[in-house]
Amino acid sequence: MAPTKSPKGSSKGKAKSAGVRQSKKSTGSAPAGISKRKQKSLALAKPGGAQKTKSKSLSSSSTTKKKRVYTEKELDIPKLNGIVPAGIVKPKGQKKGKKFVDDPESLIAIMSVVNAEKEGRIESKIMRARQLEEVREAKRKEAEKRGEEKAAKFEDTKKGLKKRRKSKHEDVEDVDNEAPAEKPKKQRKRVSFG
Amino acid sequence: MRQLTEAETKTLFEKLATYCGKGISNLITDSASGDRYVFRLQKDRVYYVREKLANLATSVHRDNLLSLGTCLGKFTKTGKFRLHITALPIIAPHSRFKIWVKSNGEMPFMYGGNVLKAHVGRWTEDIPEHQGVVVLSMNDTPLGFGVSARSTAEARRLDPTGIVAFRQADVGEYLREEDTLFTT
Repeated sequence: MAPTKSPKGSSKGKAKSAGVRQSKKSTGSAPAGISKRKQKSLALAKPGGAQKTKSKSLSSSSTTKKKRVYTEKELDIPKLNGIVPAGIVKPKGQKKGKKFVDDPESLIAIMSVVNAEKEGRIESKIMRARQLEEVREAKRKEAEKRGEEKAAKFEDTKKGLKKRRKSKHEDVEDVDNEAPAEKPKKQRKRVSFG
Repeated sequence: MRQLTEAETKTLFEKLATYCGKGISNLITDSASGDRYVFRLQKDRVYYVREKLANLATSVHRDNLLSLGTCLGKFTKTGKFRLHITALPIIAPHSRFKIWVKSNGEMPFMYGGNVLKAHVGRWTEDIPEHQGVVVLSMNDTPLGFGVSARSTAEARRLDPTGIVAFRQADVGEYLREEDTLFTT
């Protein structure tokens, strides 16, 4: 606390002393008919002469600033730099609020547009479904054909194998048969129930 | 209660067109009885109302008006339209694709099940996949509506337990959803 107090007091004292000195000087130049109080005030005002000039300059600058107020058109700001985006600006002269539809003509107009759209979509859907169905049918037929061919081939090979086996057997039998020339066939024994 | 806007009307018609085909134009221009019918939005629900009735209903305060005419469905908060079972009498006569369910499939469907191949009595030819269909009993009583799971050609090859149509709404909802169906 002490150090803060001491410089304050010193400054006060300095100011006082300066004021006294100035007043003494002013008394010499000032006219005699002025009261002591007025003198004091004058003396106080003198060092603030600079202040007076300052205020003058301020007022002058304010007047000049007032003159320099530009409108937005004068500034020539490009439109993209503006605050309001172009999309939000509503077209002038258009009625504000909702646009109701109640007369049958406009209702029919809207309906025909919607109907045409839907119809087109449904038709295309049906067409696509038909095409897909055709493709599927063709594929199915092809697969069936292929399957049949495969089965036929398999049967052929089976038959071929059987024939080969048969022919081999026959050969073997022929060889056997050649030696005992024509034996009478043995009758097989049969068993019957009931 | 108010009229529908252009966007709302388009969304509604798109939904109706999935079930009705060209028949929905009859909804607007049906002058058999001489009365014109209009669509009205009350809160988030859309009603199909006779114009005279709609005009009379303007005298009822919005907050006090519970319902009028036939409720077709409601707009979800994302802006889509959801058809309610109450729209069935309006859709069914104009429907394009139909599936007739045998008597053994009626109850499973009305309890909220999907339509199985084994339950189908007959169906419209050339139903594409994911297309709106109206489900009817064999004596032509509309039971509900749904979306086809497969095209007719594919469904033919399906096994009996396979799903033919996914349920969207059925008349069983009148009992099951009794508490919420008519509350706004």
